[in-house]
Amino acid sequence: MDITTPISDEAVSSLNVGDTITITGYILCGRDAVLPKIVKLIEEDRVDELGIELKGNVIFHTAVSPAGVGPTSSNKLEIESSIEPLSKAGVKLHLGKGRLSEKTIAALDKYNSLYAVIPPVTALLEDKTIERRVAAFPELGMEALHILKVDKYPAIIAAAHGRSIYD
Amino acid sequence: MTEIEYNRIVSLVSDTLVEAGSTFREDKKEAYRQAIKKEDNDNARWVLETILENAQAAEKNKSPLCDDTGIPHLVLEVGDNVSVSGRMLDAINEGVRQGLRKLPGRPMGIMGDDSQRLDQSGGLDPDSAGVAPAPVLLRRCSEDSIRLHVLMFGGGPAIRAKTYRVFHKHDTQTVLDEIVKWAVEGVSQLGCSPCTLAVGIGRSHFEAASMMLQAQADGRYDVQSEMEKQITDRVNAADIGPLGLHGKTSVLATFMKVGSQRASGVRIVCVRPTCCFEPRIAVVDLKEV
Repeated sequence: MDITTPISDEAVSSLNVGDTITITGYILCGRDAVLPKIVKLIEEDRVDELGIELKGNVIFHTAVSPAGVGPTSSNKLEIESSIEPLSKAGVKLHLGKGRLSEKTIAALDKYNSLYAVIPPVTALLEDKTIERRVAAFPELGMEALHILKVDKYPAIIAAAHGRSIYD
Repeated sequence: MTEIEYNRIVSLVSDTLVEAGSTFREDKKEAYRQAIKKEDNDNARWVLETILENAQAAEKNKSPLCDDTGIPHLVLEVGDNVSVSGRMLDAINEGVRQGLRKLPGRPMGIMGDDSQRLDQSGGLDPDSAGVAPAPVLLRRCSEDSIRLHVLMFGGGPAIRAKTYRVFHKHDTQTVLDEIVKWAVEGVSQLGCSPCTLAVGIGRSHFEAASMMLQAQADGRYDVQSEMEKQITDRVNAADIGPLGLHGKTSVLATFMKVGSQRASGVRIVCVRPTCCFEPRIAVVDLKEV
């Protein structure tokens, strides 16, 4: 199934664990260093200061560097703990790799959000990345919050509606 | 060493690092093709095919297989009637720096003093060449050559690797059982399977890790010992699969090196569940320079 951002609640509802998807449009990228900063802004009700719409958006757990992009482990403490507050703020798809906890899978379900795994295929993703720019926290370098415009990133739905592909 | 010889080594090492970061060896490609052929889980087969397709694209473009381009690890083999000078080591280090810029490597060197490098408060070096290589491992070889193996170590396997003691109870199977247990734990958390298990067994943590590194330099997918096969088969039976999505191929192969052992009830074992791209390795002979 081809998914275009921003992702609607209806699109989320129609997807199930094991579905192969492609993602097209603008997405956000962040990992260990920047995601806790975004969560802090959400908690302080200041996330609008970023000038970024989180509703319907995708967070790809990756650095963005001259080497390209590729998923880091989503079950690292600072990344996995961001999934619930970001979902609550409207993020509809968290893109990464690795098994998530039952608590996180329940939180995704609660806020009608999804988790998908993307193979770490940097050379292929490079051909599918149309634009890239820093969106916030430029001092973090490759770990800053980035915006990418992508064309048909491949992924598999790994958690949806309280179920996990790892079960 | 003349300036021409120095520059020739720099160029060779630079190209070798790019090859290590962008190219699957033929035996690895064949291991993937065989895994795809026998896989009956659709998601697992899709992942394996995508990884192989990525390898073809990276080789063609001479671009990184993975955005975590890794930390350079070097094994230098010194043969008969050759000598290694400090100037040669300088040329190798410069070759690594130039290779990292050419690949390009991910600029992930951390700047600052000891404390800043620990908490990452000193910031990142924007230069890809700011990623310093690990200390060079030197070993003897029988041929008349100076062979340099360049390996690129990613962060995911480093998180899941383990070096610890095993009480062997005078039974090899006890050691293998422990390796399988650690490997299943590590591969299930890796996220970037199928992996190649790199295993070193020695008398100290340093020696075990050194054996693990050499196992990757020497290992081949089409040459597997009985112990290596047993480890691979038992971890694959755990049904972790590519990217952890279940399936037959959690591990493509095991590369194990057993070093000298001490008279003791303890063996020091190092297990690194390398990712789907590792070992990212290439080798060059510097003798003719």
